[in-house]
Amino acid sequence: MAERMGFPAFIERVEGLTPTLRRFVLRKEKQIFPPVSPGSYAALEFGDGEKVYKNAYSIVERSEDGRELTVIVRLAPQSRGGSRFLHEKGRSGLPVWVGSVANLFPIVKTARRHLLLSAGIGITPFLSYLRKLRSIGADYTLHHFCRAEERSAFEALLAEQDQARVSVHTALPSEVGLADWLQDEAIATHVYFCGPEGFMKWVEETTHRCGFAPGKVHSEHFFVPEGGRPFEVILARSGRKIAVKADETLLEALEQADVDAPCMCRGGACGACAVTVLDGQPDHRDHVLTEAERASGNVILTCVSRAKTDTLTLDL
Amino acid sequence: MSGQTHVRDSYRPPFHVENSAETILRFPFPFPEDSYMYSMNVEPHVRGGPVDAMSHTFDVDEHYVGECAEKARILAEDPKRCMVLPHMRDAEWDFLELGMDSLSTDYPEHFTLKKEGNDWLWENHLLNISQSFVFGDEATLPQAPFEYMARQMQGDFTLHDQRENDLWMDGGMVTSQADWSLKFDMGMSFRQWHAPVPKASEMGIFDRGLRFLLMLQYGRPVRRLNWTMTINPRLDTSPENYMIWGEDRASVTPENVAEKVHLRVELQTLYRLPRSNAILFAIRCYLLPIKDIMTVPKWRKRLHRVLRDLDPALASYKGLDLYRSTVVEFLRPYDDGASLSTGIQPV
Repeated sequence: MAERMGFPAFIERVEGLTPTLRRFVLRKEKQIFPPVSPGSYAALEFGDGEKVYKNAYSIVERSEDGRELTVIVRLAPQSRGGSRFLHEKGRSGLPVWVGSVANLFPIVKTARRHLLLSAGIGITPFLSYLRKLRSIGADYTLHHFCRAEERSAFEALLAEQDQARVSVHTALPSEVGLADWLQDEAIATHVYFCGPEGFMKWVEETTHRCGFAPGKVHSEHFFVPEGGRPFEVILARSGRKIAVKADETLLEALEQADVDAPCMCRGGACGACAVTVLDGQPDHRDHVLTEAERASGNVILTCVSRAKTDTLTLDL
Repeated sequence: MSGQTHVRDSYRPPFHVENSAETILRFPFPFPEDSYMYSMNVEPHVRGGPVDAMSHTFDVDEHYVGECAEKARILAEDPKRCMVLPHMRDAEWDFLELGMDSLSTDYPEHFTLKKEGNDWLWENHLLNISQSFVFGDEATLPQAPFEYMARQMQGDFTLHDQRENDLWMDGGMVTSQADWSLKFDMGMSFRQWHAPVPKASEMGIFDRGLRFLLMLQYGRPVRRLNWTMTINPRLDTSPENYMIWGEDRASVTPENVAEKVHLRVELQTLYRLPRSNAILFAIRCYLLPIKDIMTVPKWRKRLHRVLRDLDPALASYKGLDLYRSTVVEFLRPYDDGASLSTGIQPV
């Protein structure tokens, strides 16, 4: 097995932004973190000895001296434990392993204009975008949507930005005229959006209706793997059988059983964890596989997808 | 590296390139088996490997000074061998940092780097360069950061922007290429610049290769070997200069084949760059004449078998048609048919 990717770090400080949002500043024990491109995420590993949680979060900022990385974590309503653990037990000094830093949501550097649309926690990748876009003198606008009680928190987050280019809205996108604004954008504008699924769906449909070419529309889904019916996975090469519980992912069950399974983003967005299915029917929940691949039923992304059948046989 | 610090090599007429015994044995011979067909043959670029050429991030060998001098001459004659599109500025600094960090770490006797915040001091003792500059401030370097660094490294380099699930050739310095042109390929996508390669497309190699590269992670570089053949030790076999080197292909005779025909191997390494999310493609070219390959029994036998049985479409694509049979006939008496170990190591 390849050497473990990542960097040992610990929580340096914690700041509450809203009752459900906390900012965590991570510090590297030795040396510095590598530079990160805007839109990157880090898969973090943390825990209390009883359980190891592995969650991916957008990197909001890397400090100038490279010693600190900042992430913002939302207490997820259907948390499988990771975000709750960080909110309840993520105090300064807690060790955190920063693994697989990667970028699945980069700025399109050739774009003439960038329109950023976010809702709620979906602001996080854009906090790194804004710094970059401003520093290179790019043409950009951010519209952020949130609940009324969170307005002041997000305005504070954006306080240092160019206020002519950022707007915080507490009404729905459909109510403030976002569809009209999209309609008025020039043909060279690239649209980026990130937020809860309902927001994502609305922007997806609206940009499509406004005639944006697919190559000019970019999104990142914050995907929390949901649980489901327990099932059993059979590893064809060894014949081993591993139970996947209702509240754990297939990938977590494999890792728990010390199976060397591939993975990267842990959120159904990158495709690195694709494994061949030999028997059983996958319940696809990812954003990567094509319709044809889904229909074939012979590949599954273990980080988010589950089984429709009682057993799933994998080529592992 | 065997301590050569002056220009001894000539990569244009009158040719003069000699390989020490050490250099011959560290050559990245490209054939792990007796026959050759395209494959993805990508492996992690970790320290160490079957030959010494793979033991550092960027390989520096006894031809360093000569190759850098040849590169400078080519760039003086044709400055457009180095081109970088403006949106690749971050990637240029990424490249400079990777180059300076790894050369100074791997070869502290030849290169030193001192960093005080963004104030850096770079010293290249082989080329007598001492340069203080501010990292991120292009005005403090004599050339743009990519060009500055690439001039001080052996081999070719291209920079690739990643967007729309594809890789775009948006920068590079290419002076030792095997008959392809940066000027022609600039701005092309992965499939576009690979389009001339026969067979590989229908084999699905490019689809898998691209998917693999899009997932390439920072800190996990990968490598592969590619090969062709070149007449005379010419680094510059560019399409632009075909009128200069093309006729060499017709000059091979049974008498001069061992001297003239060179196996040309590219040690290709790929890196995800952290600031820009771009991919660096480094193509380090090694030239070894048949007469030097003859000194390694395993390699001369294997080369004979590979060339003898090579698919005609591949032989044509690689430009070997005019002299392949001459090489095979020359090597045939030196191949006793004994079975050879798998892998590229010399024994």
